[in-house]
Amino acid sequence: MAKINKTRVPMREQPAEERIKNFDSVPLGYTDEEAMAEAQRCIQCKDPSCETECPVNMKIRAMIEKVAEGNFEEAFLIAKEDNPIPAISGRVCPQEDQCEGVCTMGKKADAINIGKLGAFLGDWAMQNGVTEELHIEERNEKVAVIGSGPAGISCAVDLRKLGYRVTLFEALHIAGGVLQYGIPAFRLPKDIVDYELSYLQKIGVDLRLNNIVGQNIKFDELRWEFDAIFIGTGAGAPRFLGIEGEKLMGVYSANEFLIRVNLMKAYKFPEYDTPIVCGDSVGVIGAGNVAMDAARCAVRLGAREVYILYRRTKQESPARDEELEHALEEGVIFEELVNPTRVLGSEDGWVTGIEMVRMELGELDDSGRPRPVKIEGGEFTMELDTVVNALGTLPNRLFLDRTPELETTPRGAIKTDEKLMTNVKGVFAGGDAMSGGATVIQALGEGKRAAASIHGYLSGI
Amino acid sequence: MKHRITRKEDLNAADYLIEVEASMVAERFLPGNFAVLITVPRGERIPMSIQKAEDGKITMLIKKLGKTSVELDSFEVGDSLEAVIGPMGNSPELKRYGNIVFASDLVCGHAENYALCKALQEIEGNHVTSIQTFPTKADIYPKKELSEAFCDEYYLTTLDGSCGIKGHYTEVLKDLLDEGKVDIIFAGGDIPALRDLAGLTEPYGVPTIVTVRQIMIDATGMCGSCRVFVDGEMKLTCIDGPMFDAHKLNFEDIINRMAMFKEKETRAMEYYNKKILPSVGFT
Ligand SMILES: Cc1cc2nc3c(=O)[nH]c(=O)nc-3n(C[C@H](O)[C@H](O)[C@H](O)COP(=O)(O)OP(=O)(O)OC[C@H]3O[C@@H](n4cnc5c(N)ncnc54)[C@H](O)[C@@H]3O)c2cc1C
Ligand SMILES: Cc1cc2nc3c(=O)[nH]c(=O)nc-3n(C[C@H](O)[C@H](O)[C@H](O)COP(=O)(O)OP(=O)(O)OC[C@H]3O[C@@H](n4cnc5c(N)ncnc54)[C@H](O)[C@@H]3O)c2cc1C
Ligand code: SF4
Ligand code: SF4
Ligand code: FES
Repeated sequence: MAKINKTRVPMREQPAEERIKNFDSVPLGYTDEEAMAEAQRCIQCKDPSCETECPVNMKIRAMIEKVAEGNFEEAFLIAKEDNPIPAISGRVCPQEDQCEGVCTMGKKADAINIGKLGAFLGDWAMQNGVTEELHIEERNEKVAVIGSGPAGISCAVDLRKLGYRVTLFEALHIAGGVLQYGIPAFRLPKDIVDYELSYLQKIGVDLRLNNIVGQNIKFDELRWEFDAIFIGTGAGAPRFLGIEGEKLMGVYSANEFLIRVNLMKAYKFPEYDTPIVCGDSVGVIGAGNVAMDAARCAVRLGAREVYILYRRTKQESPARDEELEHALEEGVIFEELVNPTRVLGSEDGWVTGIEMVRMELGELDDSGRPRPVKIEGGEFTMELDTVVNALGTLPNRLFLDRTPELETTPRGAIKTDEKLMTNVKGVFAGGDAMSGGATVIQALGEGKRAAASIHGYLSGI
Repeated sequence: MKHRITRKEDLNAADYLIEVEASMVAERFLPGNFAVLITVPRGERIPMSIQKAEDGKITMLIKKLGKTSVELDSFEVGDSLEAVIGPMGNSPELKRYGNIVFASDLVCGHAENYALCKALQEIEGNHVTSIQTFPTKADIYPKKELSEAFCDEYYLTTLDGSCGIKGHYTEVLKDLLDEGKVDIIFAGGDIPALRDLAGLTEPYGVPTIVTVRQIMIDATGMCGSCRVFVDGEMKLTCIDGPMFDAHKLNFEDIINRMAMFKEKETRAMEYYNKKILPSVGFT
């Protein structure tokens, strides 16, 4: 057996000093040869641990085997069996905690770059117009899917493949949920998202944009018209710390900042109509993926100094490793162990700075992470002109406010049983609306599981 | 789905009326609702109060303020809007209130005034009074767009006294309050005027419900841009409003934050003028 290369085939990227001037993809993708070389590093484990840790249990080993042979079409079709959007999951999954985190190769050398191989296949299929062949046997039952994020997309696709008549309701004027409005184009190019969404319509999902269930369509109307309903409304409610000064101009929720930039394309203002005001020194509160996205958008909008303000340290950051690395390469400054206590403002109502207190790490908390504790006398201030709150997510409220019949948890997430059915018969839920906030692939997995449950429910199994 | 413009008229030099096809919005409209418009694919999402909804069409009264409202004014009957979304927001309960006053001094205010007076007057036991204020005689809307036809009592005021009563609606209202003839007040329009109104009615203990305008992006409760503070608690204008109890609202915050995008809005307008005007022959 030939000697296996211990290190990954490196991914070409836009150099940091160039990419901070544009919103184009940072990774430039593998060539055919590079993908094959990376795939050839896989030792084809008998018991592939990578697959058990993938939330949708993609047949990773078989997929990689085909890539190694240069048979991209078959590899793509294998990926597609369990994952409708490999081009997207490959770019956004926290692979280091999932498939790649347990890859056998990773024990002695670099783990196989499973994510990038998935993305390679998705891109390859898009460029070559390859899709799976479908023979849909039509059924009469109608299913409504609410929300077109990863959970709604995967639920709609699976139900449609089973022959159900699926109508997908989306509140915004563009489908995709966080994939459109949250995750910036330099991480997830929008032509990829558009392509995956066009697939939905190709297989006959009836997509209704600008339909806000609970607002301009009543939930009861859906219950009359449809035989089953899936709720995938996400966790996109804005959050603030609730400290003094958050009314000042220059204070944003991460959602507002990112919706302006991504959904409304404020980075192309004034060519596009929606503006954004981003100052010279920006403080982003939080250190997850959302915080990294906001910080890196701020860099690209021309901010001179961008700080991540985090209560814990880099090690505890919940962001994907790649995003954290990219952010640091792009000059984002990581202020560890600080807790904002007050936003400071000028007479005319603009942010001028932030007051914070230094923290240290104490004992482990429920989440198994060290609890940050205040250092007495550790107060200090920092000059800033923009503050972005990236504090984790809360379930979208509009729909839930208007559906009191649905049981929720104290944090406002929808309660379901093990089959993802809510307390209302025939109504299922998944994704962030049910979990309170997780990952693209988990939402996608729940959408698939719900589709299977709905199929069971409607066929009386 | 495209939304065709079926009627468009100037109301005065700065405001125009526009009627568009939007069957879903029209069928579900309740007084006090607004719509979100996207005029062109690159456009922003802008909220507009709905004055009336009939035959699958909705009518809005729009002030030429900045890029989007000015650009929309260049559209003609037969042209289409990219999207008309709604109805958005909550409608106040349509019930017997007794003596109701609706006061307004701007487009967004006059539109609700029309819609609410019309709906509330039909309910038995309601006595509806409307006060509409315009800066000067030339600004007054054509009679059929005013709420006079749906009122038991009607007052028109101009700030300079060139037509109707001289002064702002707050002055007429003060007399009505002193006469003890008011059970509830609805109002809309200029935000600083609404703040003054709140101050005026509070000592009388008369419930005062105002339509708030705050800058919106998604209008579905996701961004927090439209946040206002009611008794110190954060509410979202788009999904909790747009009508709030004026005695509990933090007006300073609303007034302050509406200025956040001023500079950018001016730039958008300059850009629009540069790009569009030369192509139609202006220099
Ligand atoms: C900025 C950001 C970065 C992220 N980065 C990552 C990452 O790198 N990796 C990762 O795995 N995860 C990431 N996440 C988390 C991930 O995106 C979410 O867990 C996932 O998108 C949840 O999917 P969903 O389908 O449940 O909901 P969403 O993607 O939130 O979609 C919900 C959809 O429902 C619509 N909707 C809401 N209410 C209604 C209604 N009443 N009627 C009709 N439609 C409605 C919304 O408009 C939206 O389109 C990130 C999240 C954010 C915000
Ligand atoms: C619930 C509600 C109902 C409204 N009803 C009406 C109406 O009936 N008629 C009408 O003419 N206007 C109405 N507005 C205001 C209207 O949305 C803004 O005038 C419009 O967005 C301005 O866009 P622009 O590009 O023309 O101007 P811009 O250049 O964007 O802004 C000019 C000024 O308008 C204000 N403004 C900007 N964007 C918004 C926004 N999204 N929401 C509120 N204010 C904004 C700001 O104070 C700004 O300084 C309403 C707003 C709300 C929130
Ligand atoms: S879907 Fe995510 S976890 Fe599964 S193999 Fe792909 S990158 Fe790994
Ligand atoms: S665990 Fe790693 S080496 Fe083993 S099959 Fe999966 S990708 Fe290949
Ligand atoms: S406009 Fe975004 S929350 Fe109201």
